[in-house]
This record gives sequence, structure tokens and C-alpha cells, in this order.
Amino acid sequence: MADGLRAGGFRLTRRWAGGALLAPPLALFLLFFLAPLASLLWVSFHAPSQSELYGAELTLVHYATILSDPFYHTIILRTLSTGGVILLLSLVLGYATAYVLAPLPPRRRLLLLLLLVVPLMVSNVVRAYGWIAILGRQGLVNSLLRDSGLIDRPLLLLNSFEAVSFGLMTILLPYMVISVANALAAIDAQYKEAAQSLRASPFRTFIHVTWPLSSPGVASGMLLVFLLTLSAYVTITLLGGPRMKLLVSLAFDAVGAFRWPLAAAISFALLVLALGVALLILAVLRPHRVQGRG
Amino acid sequence: MAHAVLLALAGFTYLLVLGPIVIVLITAFSPTDFFVFPPPGLSLRWFIAFFKTDSLRDAFLRSIQIATVSSLLATALGVMAALFVARRKGWAATVLQTLFLAPLIFPAIVLGLALLLFFKLIGGMPDFVGLAIAHCILGMPFVIRAVSASLLAVDPVLEEASQSLRAGPWRTFALITLPLIWPGILSGAMFAFILSFGELNTALFLTGPGLTTLPIEIFSYLQFQGGQLVIAAASATQVALIAVIVVILERLVGLGRVVRSK
Repeated sequence: MADGLRAGGFRLTRRWAGGALLAPPLALFLLFFLAPLASLLWVSFHAPSQSELYGAELTLVHYATILSDPFYHTIILRTLSTGGVILLLSLVLGYATAYVLAPLPPRRRLLLLLLLVVPLMVSNVVRAYGWIAILGRQGLVNSLLRDSGLIDRPLLLLNSFEAVSFGLMTILLPYMVISVANALAAIDAQYKEAAQSLRASPFRTFIHVTWPLSSPGVASGMLLVFLLTLSAYVTITLLGGPRMKLLVSLAFDAVGAFRWPLAAAISFALLVLALGVALLILAVLRPHRVQGRG
Repeated sequence: MAHAVLLALAGFTYLLVLGPIVIVLITAFSPTDFFVFPPPGLSLRWFIAFFKTDSLRDAFLRSIQIATVSSLLATALGVMAALFVARRKGWAATVLQTLFLAPLIFPAIVLGLALLLFFKLIGGMPDFVGLAIAHCILGMPFVIRAVSASLLAVDPVLEEASQSLRAGPWRTFALITLPLIWPGILSGAMFAFILSFGELNTALFLTGPGLTTLPIEIFSYLQFQGGQLVIAAASATQVALIAVIVVILERLVGLGRVVRSK
């Protein structure tokens, strides 16, 4: 009895009850998360086929194409630079916003954060439509400029690298604010006071105290923003038009052309890219320096 | 000076995040045939047009069905997973937790493609079931996180007291644990619903001619027929439903939980 108490045992999770609890969710994930990914990987190593989903022959040709074809290089480079611009802009705006929110009284801070959380719940297609209404040919900006006589013909603001980077950045920005705000809220005020009592300037306090202690929030914000950038097919298509393609668009096009093995290989290229950038972010920010968080 | 710059950047953030949504909401009430901003008056004509357009109305109802089914499923399975994982330590629990939370950061477009291919490989899956499964997997992490946070706040002494009075595991769960973690379950469930209701990345692959959701229908309108104002009304309806859920959630479980769960 005493032993059971010391183990802090939640009796429902005794061995048999635990198994019954775990089996259904685990089965779902094995069957519809891991198995589909494994079969995607399997298919990516096969030759294409006219009649079947994939051919019988094993091959590395799809990966070789992605690695050697200049077209893919252009697209991968463009994907990385879009992601880089989005990361940089969202870090500056997101950190500044979180920094302003951090010292506010709790109720007000929560209300202001809620104003950023609710947009995350609105479908991205609706938010992209908002940018089309603003930047489109007959959109807000063009009609304002036309009415004030500054332009005769509408400016083409959509269907560009800038439109995609900027629009997608605004869609993902709340993730950065929320991640950093949570990290800033968790910092013990005593650290800052200690730095100030040692006559550190506000700038030095920020560089040596606040920034390192907030790095777990910055890292998780950047990871989320970059990973969601990679998937954002709909936003990229709506704001970038048919010619501004990123890696995810190519996967989608390959499915449209029934080239399943190629689509599968592009998906894994996407995952490798995600992993590479995630490791880079973690290596630069070193969030594990802050113990027990992140 | 530095503070003024920070305030300006923060103001800019709010403008960029909220501006597009506000413009869509205002445009939805426009009486004009085409986009004019600000609209010269207010009318409900585009909402009426939305509900009279079969494809949009059907997509809206289908989205609600999918979101309901997938969030109930995600809640049931997510609560089970949280009960198992939340208070365990060791490598096995860590691996399971990582697996169950993986969909939060895993590129959903790859999951959508993988599921589409997998369903074809195993000989087909009804569209509705397939999409509900995908949304269940994407929604479960939200349930698990919300429920785990509630579970960790429950004092195990309460459960031990119940069991020392010879209540079995099920009675203890129903009478002690469940009432205490109820707010976590509720907010997790509502997040799973909201996620499914707006989800695009797996739906892109798993919807088809026989089944479409509202976000996908809005997407294909924008892509192939331009930004007609009926789309503004459809979008506003999407936002309105979410606003209602957020208000209910705030009343039932409080503001802090709404913000933290995301």
C-alpha cells in the first residue's frame, strides 16, 4: 500500500487499464499516420507506371532528379528564401509585439493575445482572400491610388515573391508573438533587476539576459512559422499565382499528373528541408541553454 | 524613442493580422455587385446568395459534419492518450508523447498526400471517413495538450482517497478525475472542431467531386472564378461560427485557457 502511494500511482493506469487506454489512439496513429508515411517512402523509391500507382522497378531516379535538375534547385532556393524572409520579418514584428505585451497587466495581456489567437482559427483561405481584397487589381490599395490620381492603370501587387512572403508572413505572425510572449512571461523579473543593479544598460540587459532566456520561445516560434510555410500551398497559390511555385506546389502538381513516385520523393525532400532548417534554428538559438523549458 | 518604435511595430502587427479579416467581414455586407471599399451601404444580399448557392451551402454543412465527427473522435482518443501519457515518465512515455504531438509540427500537406496514396493502396476509403480520420489525427494533439495540462493540475491524493474508499478505476475516473479535467477536455474538443472547420492541407488531397469542405470550396472559387462577393459572405460565415465558439469557450472555461491552448 505504502509503495503504491509513494509511486504516486494513478490506479486507472494499472497495467491492464493502461493498455486499454493506449491501444485505440496508438492503433490510429500506427495505421493512419506512420503506415501511410512508410508507404509514401516506399513508393518514392519506385519507377513511375502508366497503369498502376507505381512501377515494380526500384530506383533512385526521383531523388536524383530533385538533386541534379536546375529547375528543382531554383524552386528549393526560392522556397528557402521565402522562408528566410518570412522568418526574419515575423521575428522582428513578433518579438517587438511580445515585448510590448509582456509587462501589461495579465487580463489586458490575455485579451490582446486573444486578438491574435482568433485569426489563427480563421481558415487561411479566408485570410488570403483578405489580402486579395487589399492588393488585387480592383483591390483597396489600387482603388485608393486611382481615386487620388496617382496611377492610371492598376499596379500588379499580387502574383509575386513579395506578395507571397508578405501575405504568408502576416498569416503566421501570431504564432511568433504567442511563442515569444509566453517565454517572456516566464522570465523571472529578478534576473533583469540583478542585471540593472549591476549597472547594465537596457541594451546589455536585453542581449545578455532577456534574449537568451526567451530563446526557447523564439526557437519554437521560428520552427512553427517555417514548418507551416512549407505546407502553405493554398496561400502560396492564391497570392503567388500560377508561376510563383514553391516546393509544395511541385508535389501537388505531380499528384495532378498522377506521378505518384515523384510526388512522394518531393514530399520527402520537403521533410528533409524542414528537418535541416529546424536543426539550423536550434543550433543558432540554442534554446536548451534555458533549463527545464522549451 | 526605442519604446515608440516598439509600439509602432506592435501596432503594425495588429494591423497586418486583423486588417484583412476586418475587410472581408465588412465587404460581406456590401450591397454592390463588385468590390467597393468602403461599401456605400449595408445589405445581406450576399449572405442570401451564399445560402442559395447549392455548392457553397452544401460545403458549409459538410464542413460542420466533418468537424463534429472528427472532433468527437479526436476528443475520445485524445483523452485516452492523455490519461496514459501525461503522468508517466521514462523513454516509452516520451516516445509516445512525441508521436501523438507530432502532427502539430509535421507538414500537413505531406500527411494529406500520404493518406491519399495509402487509401488508394488499400483499395479505397469513403471520402468522408478518410477526411474525418485525417482531421482526427490533426486535432488530437490539441486535445492531448489541453487534457494533459488539466491532469497534471489534479492532486493525485484525491484519486488515492477515492480508491482507498474502494472505488474502482472507472468510478474514480467518473466521479473524481473527469469533473476536474472537464474544462481541458472541452477546450481541446473545441480546438479540434475549429481546426477541422478551417483545415486546408489534408482536405486539398482528401476532398473530391463527391465531397468538399467550405475552405476548399472558397479556394476553388478564388482560383477559378475570381473574388466574387459571395465568397466574402461565405468567409464571414466561417469567421462568425468561430467567434461563437470562442465566446462559448470563454464563458465556460475562461480566457487564459483559450489563449494557452493554441
